Amino acid sequence: MDTETITNAKMSARNVSVFYGANKAIDDVSIDVSRENVTAFIGPSGCGKSTFLRTLNRMNDTIPSARVEGRIELDGEDIYGSGMDVVQLRARVGMVFQKPNPFPKSIFENVAYGPRIHGLAPNKAELETIVERSLKRAGLWDEVKDRLAESGTALSGGQQQRLCIARAIAVDPEVILMDEPCSALDPIATAKIEELIHELRGRYAIVIVTHNMQQAARVSQRTAFFHLGVLVEYGETTEIFTNPRQTRTKDYITGRYG
Amino acid sequence: MSDLAFPLDPTPTDWNDAAMQRRIRKRYTAERRFKLLGLAAVSLSAGFLAFLLITMLAKGLGGIDIGFLTGSDATDPAQVGIWGAFKGSLLTMIVTLGIAFPVGVLSAVYLEEYAPRNRWTDIIEVSINNLAAVPSIIFGLLGLAIFLNFMHLPRSAPIVGGLTLALMTMPVIVIAGRNAIKSVPPSIRDAALGIGASRIQVVSHHVLPLALPGILTGTIIGMARALGETAPLLMIGMRAFIASPPGGFTEPATALPVQIFLWSDEVSRGFVEKTSAAIIVLLAFLLAMNGLAIYLRNRFETRW
Amino acid sequence: MTALTIALLLLGLGLAAWLAARAKAMAFARPAAGAARVHSLPAYHGWYVALWAVVPGLIVLAAWSHFSGGLIYQTVIASPEAAALPAFDMQRQAILGEAYALATGGADAAFNPQARALVPVYEGAIAFYFWIGLAAALISAFAGGAFAYSRVSPHFRARTRVERTVMAVLLLASLIAVLTTLGILVSLIFESVRFFSMVSPIEFLFGTSWSPQMAIRADQAGSSGAFGAIPLFWGTIFIGAIIAMIVAIPLGLMSAIYLTQYASPTVRAWMKPALEMLAGVPTVVYGYFAALTVAPAIRDLGLSLGIPASTESALAAGLVMGIMIIPFVSSMADDSIAAVPQAMRDGSLAMGATKSETIKKVLVPAALPGVVGGVLLAVSRAIGETMIVVMAAGLAANLTANPFDSVTTVTTQIVQLLTGDQEFDSPKTLAAFALGLVLFMVTLALNIVALRVVKKYREAYE
Repeated sequence: MDTETITNAKMSARNVSVFYGANKAIDDVSIDVSRENVTAFIGPSGCGKSTFLRTLNRMNDTIPSARVEGRIELDGEDIYGSGMDVVQLRARVGMVFQKPNPFPKSIFENVAYGPRIHGLAPNKAELETIVERSLKRAGLWDEVKDRLAESGTALSGGQQQRLCIARAIAVDPEVILMDEPCSALDPIATAKIEELIHELRGRYAIVIVTHNMQQAARVSQRTAFFHLGVLVEYGETTEIFTNPRQTRTKDYITGRYG
Repeated sequence: MSDLAFPLDPTPTDWNDAAMQRRIRKRYTAERRFKLLGLAAVSLSAGFLAFLLITMLAKGLGGIDIGFLTGSDATDPAQVGIWGAFKGSLLTMIVTLGIAFPVGVLSAVYLEEYAPRNRWTDIIEVSINNLAAVPSIIFGLLGLAIFLNFMHLPRSAPIVGGLTLALMTMPVIVIAGRNAIKSVPPSIRDAALGIGASRIQVVSHHVLPLALPGILTGTIIGMARALGETAPLLMIGMRAFIASPPGGFTEPATALPVQIFLWSDEVSRGFVEKTSAAIIVLLAFLLAMNGLAIYLRNRFETRW
Repeated sequence: MTALTIALLLLGLGLAAWLAARAKAMAFARPAAGAARVHSLPAYHGWYVALWAVVPGLIVLAAWSHFSGGLIYQTVIASPEAAALPAFDMQRQAILGEAYALATGGADAAFNPQARALVPVYEGAIAFYFWIGLAAALISAFAGGAFAYSRVSPHFRARTRVERTVMAVLLLASLIAVLTTLGILVSLIFESVRFFSMVSPIEFLFGTSWSPQMAIRADQAGSSGAFGAIPLFWGTIFIGAIIAMIVAIPLGLMSAIYLTQYASPTVRAWMKPALEMLAGVPTVVYGYFAALTVAPAIRDLGLSLGIPASTESALAAGLVMGIMIIPFVSSMADDSIAAVPQAMRDGSLAMGATKSETIKKVLVPAALPGVVGGVLLAVSRAIGETMIVVMAAGLAANLTANPFDSVTTVTTQIVQLLTGDQEFDSPKTLAAFALGLVLFMVTLALNIVALRVVKKYREAYE
């Protein structure tokens, strides 16, 4: 297992294992998430990359049989510690899901949901400002600015996913986790999302799980390769794809197994 | 495409700000309160059921003895028994089952297996779904108008009560039957047809036997509902004072829930115990029937 | 000597026919090697012949039993003994009835000598027509059976014909549901039309005075009836749609939310059936409980608060009815909430919303059509409910907003109007049918709207 520690990492995981009941899904993973780069998790399906991603914002808590061991820190603070409030954590570490899941509300209400419940906007004008800014940052504003009252579910797949990104951005997160955000989208929508990731980089720490190696090569600066619940190799994206150190990594990259 | 240099960019959210912390605490309190509210709702509902059962048991358990179980209605509360009403219910249930079960199952088979998709079958389907939701007293009015006044069947007889309740129970059996038949996978039908079985043979040899547990469960639940019905029987006259158990299907009779209703009107205190006792007997029967239905469902229903 | 005897005889004949035809078919069922295969199994031939024997016989039997009653009556009236009967109709019918009972063995001793004299006439007529009916049934059975038997042959497609008959029977069974609906509509409308010829629909639907006492005989002193049904409609709505819903909707919805979102599997496994049991308790038990325990408590409560309260109150009936309705609301709500995709719940939680915020702001709004449909169905059930209101609400047609007071409902009055003397032509009894028609229409409308709402919702997640 190859770990590179990053100085001043945004999030760091040490010896993290995840159990579903008696099954061990993630085995002793240690990794740092960069503050200003995009990190990609790659690996064959079922290797645990999504499971590990969900430990970073404690979404595994919603599954009764799940158990997490090890230590995960956000800016040095243990996120599973008693002092960490999960509601706050999830606002600071946002998530975009594989299948776009807008709420059955209007576009405006979808984006306004987060600021509303966290009380981030003291009045209506500020709320509208936040919504407009988030939609602009997600690259959706021009397409929907005249129909904010329409239902979010009436948009196309690519637009819905950008709406979900806008929704996540609206609570002003520090980290954005993306779980295979493009796998349900067509190539054109995928290209738009990848462009968006480029632009968001630096402003937010981004972690993207993808089963598409070319996509990982395109959008990320650091890549982690998972296999059967274990972190096999982690390093600069160019290094991983041109000169991997582990045989398993090389086999996966060259397509010996999917 | 995007506009990251948006001028009104505020300072990032301070999560450790006192006001924000207060707000988060308030949200957690609301969460706890909400959960408690849900628990209270469930407890209240279940609690009321328990309260009702305990009250009935407390008031009526003392009244159950052999005399009570074998005697019939009388003017003296110390001498009343439920056998007369019970036999009336039994005879009525036999008529109801005898009519509703075949008609219900045959209709279900027809609608699921053979009916072509046309206006007529739509009308039949809509009729059945609506009938299942019609208030029971309307069936009583129907029974009064048609069975008593048009066909001149004997008033207060189990045959009329049975006919009326059969009309009410039949849609329940049809709906349960259709669901049971629907759950038999098409692969079984295809296999049978492939061997050259006719459509009727496919249904009678393969589909019906597999759907039978579901049909029986639905039938028992429907019959349990019919056993507890009072209003339709009041309409067709099964409310007279019957001092001896009915001899047959055409003699005046009463039914157990109607007997409870008639006794509840009595002023004398002695009847409270007897009425509660009758309720215990009725509930015991319903519990047994529903228990049987659940047992059948668990034991015989195959998950495809 | 009854229709039943003849019917049993016919069934016996059918069995004989079945055996005979099957034997004939079995004779050619196993052809010599090389011969063509037979189309139908012997059993089908048996069924074919049996059906042809039994069905014509049963049809004749049905016709006979319909007409024989009248024919017997005619014969008895025409006899010399009947000429001595009194002219007054009621007495005449009584004596004839007694004679009939004696003749058929329903009674043991005669009170009236004239009745005793008529007994042999009755017995003779009954026996005569019995033999005629028996002969007719047997002849048709034999004719049909013989005809069918002659057709049994190797090429005869018995199975197809039998199966076609089975299909016809299935179709007939399904039509009974349509017939029932038609029957309900026809009988309700027919009697209501007769009612509205005596009482104007405007007075009925909009009148506020309900006092359906009708003088039974022309010379009887009694108030003439008022049939304004507004107090009844109000009572029904007050108890069923307002008070019962105030109890059922919060309890039902919160129970569904708790059981689907918060409860552990063991709790859910015990509590869900417990809630279903609430729906299984017969309404007469609820009514008795309401009258026995709840109503007095409510009255005491009302009096202690200084509000005029009666022993039978809308609140008592409404409360108990609400409890009974809880499972209807909670089961629909349960299904609807469970149908909301998990992704939606995850999306909200991932943004830092608490569970209750997710439920209140995302899940319930998403499940709302299903919940609303459930509520409408519950209202429909509540307003059609009879026993609880009969036993706990009251008979006074009161137009009041005081829940501690007694009101009456549509269903209570239907029961009330049809109790006691039934002159089938008086507006009193016909009013019951008019009320029934209104009730039927309203519950039908509610059910249709509810189903439409739920159906529209189901499409949203496909």
